[in-house]
Amino acid sequence: MSKYNGGRPRDPQDFARDILDDLGRRSQRLGPILAGVVLLLLASTGFYQVGPGEVAVIRTLGRETGRAGPGLHFRVPFVQRKDIISTAQIRRLEVGFRGDQPMHDEAQMLTGDANIVEAQMIVQYRVADPSKYLFRLANPDDTMLATAEVAVRAVIGRTSIDEAITTGRGRIQEETRQLLQQLMDVYQSGLSVTEVKLQSVGPPTEVKDSFHEVVRAREEKEQLINQAMGYSEDVIPRARGEAEKQLREAEAYKEQRLLRAQGDAKKFNQVYDEYVKARDVTRKRLYLETMERLLARIEDKTVVDARLPGSTLPVLQIGPKAVAAGATGVSP
Amino acid sequence: MSRMRMTFLAVILAWIAWDSFYVVDEGTLAIVTRFGEYQVSRLAPGPYPKAPMADTVVRMQRRILVSDTPPAEYLTLDKKKLVADPITRWRITNPITYYKTVRDESGARARIDDIVNSELRGEIASHDFGAIVGNRRQPLMDSVAERARAKVAEFGIALVDVQIKRADLPTEVQESVFLRMRAERDRIAKRYRSEGEEEAQKIRAQTDKEKAILLAKAYEKAQVMIGEGDAQSTAVYAGAYGKDADFYALVRSLEAYEAALGAKTHVVLSTGSELLRYLDTPR
Repeated sequence: MSKYNGGRPRDPQDFARDILDDLGRRSQRLGPILAGVVLLLLASTGFYQVGPGEVAVIRTLGRETGRAGPGLHFRVPFVQRKDIISTAQIRRLEVGFRGDQPMHDEAQMLTGDANIVEAQMIVQYRVADPSKYLFRLANPDDTMLATAEVAVRAVIGRTSIDEAITTGRGRIQEETRQLLQQLMDVYQSGLSVTEVKLQSVGPPTEVKDSFHEVVRAREEKEQLINQAMGYSEDVIPRARGEAEKQLREAEAYKEQRLLRAQGDAKKFNQVYDEYVKARDVTRKRLYLETMERLLARIEDKTVVDARLPGSTLPVLQIGPKAVAAGATGVSP
Repeated sequence: MSRMRMTFLAVILAWIAWDSFYVVDEGTLAIVTRFGEYQVSRLAPGPYPKAPMADTVVRMQRRILVSDTPPAEYLTLDKKKLVADPITRWRITNPITYYKTVRDESGARARIDDIVNSELRGEIASHDFGAIVGNRRQPLMDSVAERARAKVAEFGIALVDVQIKRADLPTEVQESVFLRMRAERDRIAKRYRSEGEEEAQKIRAQTDKEKAILLAKAYEKAQVMIGEGDAQSTAVYAGAYGKDADFYALVRSLEAYEAALGAKTHVVLSTGSELLRYLDTPR
């Protein structure tokens, strides 16, 4: 270990000694001028600038003595030191991948039901407390990466695989952020986690096919159901139409039967009204008129004399169509 | 050359003045030894005096430090293998004890790794695999930290916490997990497919049932309607024809003859019949 304070440069001492030697050897008048110039040069190194969104933390003889915001500032060289930290800048780190390169070892983690998922996550954070950031934790940014891994693995570790790859994303993000911030506070990192974003949570490459198969099966299920609903929507309206048709036909039949009956009844009544006035004449008339129409239509007629004894029938050739209707008379 | 001597003396004096104090920076600790013998610990930052040349200042970190133990295989209570990668945060609280026992950070890390490893081994061996991976990880790690904390205290070290960065399965077990995951997914896929069939069958059966019922109801109504038609028409006929059954028989018979006997009918008529009685004689 150095006996001297940290990185305080020793060069100025040598430099000063050289100057003193020079002064001794050469001129006495040059001395004060050179000394003045050197002092001025040293003083000028004390100016520094703090940019927007930055904070300068000032240490005086090792101890933190103050801060300075944006602008031009002066510190006493060798006595005061400054560290300029951006508190506005959002820092970003990636878990499970770097750029477009997946890192399977870092991304694979165990779920609560002893399955394996691959998660890729982005963490955004910034310096909230520059003093803590500088002086309380060694390598705060490396710590953030390692702790982000710890946190996401802890949260995924109490989540089932199905929840992790489907609905659980928001909850995992939020719980990871909380746990990460809590741990970083314990480590006095002075860092504030602004966002934890899960880029992707999915099954590991080795079993991806099987997971896709499940998605396909779910689609097929939907498809089968839709086809069945399609069948239903095809069949039911047709059946309703068919039923309606049967009903209308029956209604038509009923109406038709009734109307026809009424028609027939009216016809009968009218004829009957006339018939009542002259029963015998009407009977005869109806009979004769009918026979007239009937016999006029019939081409094959045979008239037999009634007084002949029943000997004519055997001579007649009775075909299957011949009917001996009215042979002995229908008496009106 | 008294000027040279003066200058030399001045330089020596300046150097002694320079070496008679030291600065302890923020985030660091220091101990002072005089010819190897411990003098004092400086726990706060700032400038401190020292005996020039005689005193040696040893600085160390006051910040929280990390010890990232390499991953190792552990055996759980239910005899499952687990690869865990513990990570320990710690800081120096008693610099002289620390300096005496472990001297520097790499020494400290070696001791911490040993302690954390053995505590973790014991803790994992008394829990089932599910507990370590799942819900009870944090209490488990807290208890590892608690016991390791007591042990590292004798090195002047305060342990902040122990976490498992990764808890993975050994490679040979991973393969069987993948097999299981595949089998599980296949099972779920099959279930979805048969559920689809089930639903589809239900819908089709329901549809067929509705269709049958619909048609049957229509048939029932239609038959009722037909019956009503027949009944009402029968009543109408009866009302009309009932007035004179004899006359109805005549009219209806005549209608029947007219309808039944076609042009091709062979008729044998007797002159004795009512129609032809005048054909023979006009009496």
